[in-house]
Amino acid sequence: MMASNCEASVSQVRGLAVVALSGEVDGSAATVLGSAYDAAVRDEPTAVLLDFAAVDYINSTGIALIVSVLAKARSEGRRVVASGLSEHYRRIFDITRLSDFIQLYADVESAANGVIEGASA
Amino acid sequence: MTADRPNAGEVVLGEFAVSSEPGNERTALALVEGALNGRLNGEQLDRLKTAVAEATMNAIEHGNRNQPELEVVVRVLSSATGVTVTITDLGGEHAPSGPIVAPDLDEKLAGLQSPRGWGLFLIRHMVDAMDVSVDGVEHTVRLVMHVDAPAAAQREGARGDG
Repeated sequence: MMASNCEASVSQVRGLAVVALSGEVDGSAATVLGSAYDAAVRDEPTAVLLDFAAVDYINSTGIALIVSVLAKARSEGRRVVASGLSEHYRRIFDITRLSDFIQLYADVESAANGVIEGASA
Repeated sequence: MTADRPNAGEVVLGEFAVSSEPGNERTALALVEGALNGRLNGEQLDRLKTAVAEATMNAIEHGNRNQPELEVVVRVLSSATGVTVTITDLGGEHAPSGPIVAPDLDEKLAGLQSPRGWGLFLIRHMVDAMDVSVDGVEHTVRLVMHVDAPAAAQREGARGDG
């Protein structure tokens, strides 16, 4: 199996579970992303933010992992949002329709604001 | 391997081979970027790099079936109207050359389709043109990006000024 060049850290920003990814999101990132998601939802947040600000590469197998995380979150009644995507990867989220299901934000702060405002609306 | 022949008016900017091991698509796209040496603007380059990565992954996995002793040959060609990258493996016919059915995200989220299957879809959306040819065991994907002539001239001028 190919070694993963993806790292993830989990934190909370004003109640929003944040999975900050770095490096390369491809098929080899499955364990890293899966473990990070599981850690992020341990306290039962209503939304999880995937932050891609430090990600420099996403390929089709990485897209498949994101689809799997989204499917799992939806089955648990959780919302997934994303931040930090470059213009190029925003375009890929658009053509794959991931952005129909994952609200995109510029950064973690605006994502936290958006989720809080959405919850109080 | 003979790879793909350049068409009339095309100049070879680079040709290289990567062994068929998962992850080597990253090497291929870095070599392509180096060979292009600023020929494409940032947005076009990002799109081409994604297409090259996906086509090389397909060549490694579905063409050469992850056999490291088999090479994937990548050629970078330039013409007055654009840039072409060819990616050749030894897997014969293995990728559809007709219309690609768009992956259905709703079905994937419902567990009715595999979450995978985005590669060809991405390639088709990233490049201006794509075709597949098979010559015996050699399977070649040709990726084309058109260069906007005034913008290209401006970039050439800027390089000349520097």
